[in-house]
Amino acid sequence: MVDAGKNRQSVATCSRALLTAGALVLFAGMAGGAYAAGELRVGFSQDAQTLDPANHRNRETETIIRNLCDGILTRDPAMKVVPDLAESIRQIDATTWEIKVRDGLKSHSGAPFTAADIKFNLDRLTKENAMGGQTSPRKSLLGPVTGSELVDARTVRVKLSAPWAILPAMLPFQEMVSEAHAKKVGDAALATSVDCVGPYKLVEWRRGDAVIIARDPGYYGGAAAIPPVGPAKPDRVIFKIIPENASRVAALLAGEVDIINELPPSAIKQVEASDKAKVMAVNGTRTFFLALNMAKKPFDDPRVRKALNHAVDRKLIIDRILAGKATALNGVMSPDAFAFNDKLPEYAYDPALAKTLLAEAGHPNGIELTIDTTGAFKSTAEAIAALLARSNIKAKVQVWEGAVLSPMWATAEKRAERDAYFTSWGNGALDPSDIMVPTLRTKGRGNFAGFSNAKVDALLDAAETETDQTKRAEMYKEAQAIVNAEAPWVFLWLPQDLYGVSKRLKGWQPSADSRINLHDASVD
Amino acid sequence: MRLGKFVERFIGLIPVLFGVSVIVFLMITLTPGDPVEIMLGDARSSPEQEAALRRDMGLDRPIHERFFLFIANALRGEFGLSFFHRRPVIDVIGERLPATIELTLVALVVALAIAIPLGVIAAVKRNSWLDRVATVGSLFGVSMPGFWFGILLILLFSVKLGWFPVSGRIGFSAEVRSVTGLLLIDTLIAGRLDSFWQALRHISLPALTLALPMAAVLMRVTRSSMIEVLRADYVLFAEAKGLAKARVIGLHALKNALIPTVTVAALETGSLLGGNMIVETVFGWPGLGRLVVEAIFSRNYPLVQAAVLLYAVTYVLLNFLADLIYTWLNPKVRL
Repeated sequence: MVDAGKNRQSVATCSRALLTAGALVLFAGMAGGAYAAGELRVGFSQDAQTLDPANHRNRETETIIRNLCDGILTRDPAMKVVPDLAESIRQIDATTWEIKVRDGLKSHSGAPFTAADIKFNLDRLTKENAMGGQTSPRKSLLGPVTGSELVDARTVRVKLSAPWAILPAMLPFQEMVSEAHAKKVGDAALATSVDCVGPYKLVEWRRGDAVIIARDPGYYGGAAAIPPVGPAKPDRVIFKIIPENASRVAALLAGEVDIINELPPSAIKQVEASDKAKVMAVNGTRTFFLALNMAKKPFDDPRVRKALNHAVDRKLIIDRILAGKATALNGVMSPDAFAFNDKLPEYAYDPALAKTLLAEAGHPNGIELTIDTTGAFKSTAEAIAALLARSNIKAKVQVWEGAVLSPMWATAEKRAERDAYFTSWGNGALDPSDIMVPTLRTKGRGNFAGFSNAKVDALLDAAETETDQTKRAEMYKEAQAIVNAEAPWVFLWLPQDLYGVSKRLKGWQPSADSRINLHDASVD
Repeated sequence: MRLGKFVERFIGLIPVLFGVSVIVFLMITLTPGDPVEIMLGDARSSPEQEAALRRDMGLDRPIHERFFLFIANALRGEFGLSFFHRRPVIDVIGERLPATIELTLVALVVALAIAIPLGVIAAVKRNSWLDRVATVGSLFGVSMPGFWFGILLILLFSVKLGWFPVSGRIGFSAEVRSVTGLLLIDTLIAGRLDSFWQALRHISLPALTLALPMAAVLMRVTRSSMIEVLRADYVLFAEAKGLAKARVIGLHALKNALIPTVTVAALETGSLLGGNMIVETVFGWPGLGRLVVEAIFSRNYPLVQAAVLLYAVTYVLLNFLADLIYTWLNPKVRL
């Protein structure tokens, strides 16, 4: 038999132990962890893969490195390319550019930074096997650049194998390291050790957790065209890695961080309702579209492709799903990009016209199609499918893992049985060459529609080497008009990049190239 | 345990690990998806760039050659370079493993601290309101998804009350010399109580989130086992002898009742080490689980292969440890 009195005693003992444990944890919870003065924290979605600017192809990694190391050129808030480490850049002939490096530059460790360092970096980026026997994964970002030659301590010449008009637009993607440091520590150690010219120097990299950087008081001040020029304002910046969207928002609302990237549109109201934070938005550089498999019936018929364009109410989806934070597109280019054609005809939402076009194409009872997409875009693809149904287009959404889907659409053979692919393509350079060539030139690696138009190919090829920017712009505008008329895609939208920002943050604006430059930011 | 048994167990590890190596190599390599394509993304590229990357990653070699190279390197304890971190896989895993071990151990301690007393109380007070509350509570714990519970904890304790941080392992001002890699221990070794409190504060919510479903399972196992043991003749005999109830439960019954709990705890701990990626993601915990999930999605073959081998070794060793604990709990058990 169980003795009730003793039982009560043992239960009470257990309860006391649990309460004591709880109180201990609570006490621990109330202690420590204060914000240091002059400290700025960014809740960031992804850790850096490496700190070697030449050894990755990752945008988030570049965002972190960019606060440590400057580039030859950079972009101002209006996305204009301006000199950074360079004093000037000019084209000598069709395949040679000359860079004049600023005088008196010093790295974080105090080592002089000259044209020789620029040459070292350009060679490391563009020569085969130049990084400890490996080739830089960023080599192709510099197109036909073959190397460089040193003219004097402040002058370096960039050599190209062919004329390439967008070199200045592509140089801001490359950050420069100190040659002396690179040679001292070796290629492998550059992944975790950094010395370069930039507003902040590395304090500690807690892998997967945080990158802690501190102001370099000896910094030259950054691009002359982007005032104020001088050392960074915050004493210390912390990139706090928080991959989960909801947790990143919670960290902002709890006052643990001052800026968060990739704010989901669904969290906008929550942030706006807070007295601590607000939402900031800027046009992104990623074009969303529904690529139609033009090699397959009925998508080989332009009337069907146009019908699909008229069957999607882009404005409705932007309002309801993207919280109004996107720009509807009639083509491929961002309105902020070079050579954007603002005269393209709009495919207005018109289900009746869509049905008529389908009937003219021999499909009076409509068509069926499957939209391939990834899990992240399932709900948006389903909204598109629901809208298509109003125009007798029966669409089914099939969700795939990103790593599987992209190769599945890579070649005509692999996508032979597929219908439509809801996807996007980035254009960080804000230049048509960076997005139209891969997605719309015949056999481009992102040409999922299989679009092939001799005139467009000729225009894109000519523009690639044309050095007169006015002529180049005209070529791209003409190519955009042809693409608009041929409608290889259902043209969709350009989402804004959304940030949640603490109300105590000053002097910071989101940038269209997704960088978070913290040189001029400060907190109250 | 005899020395021969030890040796036998370790020899038994070899075919297990070889089998795991073959399976994981084939599964990850044959899964559709190309790490080169993933790395290049939608930025500007060229066929030469793709070829150079493929060569640098060793993917230009035939699959059988890559397999034998993988086995030969693994025998030497080398797993190659992580495709995306561009550093040795062993270094990348080594940086993240201590965080996962620490979180798992703390979660295990919290789970046992909740489960054993509640399981015992529920068994002793069977069919009482306490038993019902504990049983319904355990059902709640088992059925609640970790990510959801984690977010709820964050919203309440971090955003609303401000008691605990949302993410991370320790405050940014703390500088702790790594000895074991486990911050709760390293801070104590360094005599930094302030940093210890910070580390405890950071680990509390993720550990609780991980511990709750584990505690629910362990509580139910302890309860059933305890009910069975309480009916045993030797327990009735002990009570008849006039021993104090607490002594009968704590000394005679509980020790025997814990054998199934230990088995389940060992299995659950193995699962936690490999399966806490969701909690690590929600709390920004810089552990191995999150790293491996990222590696799977990016087809980072060397990292996935090394991590799965590590999980397999851990799982086998934990079961081995559970066997050792049996012999302590019940000397009649001979291994």
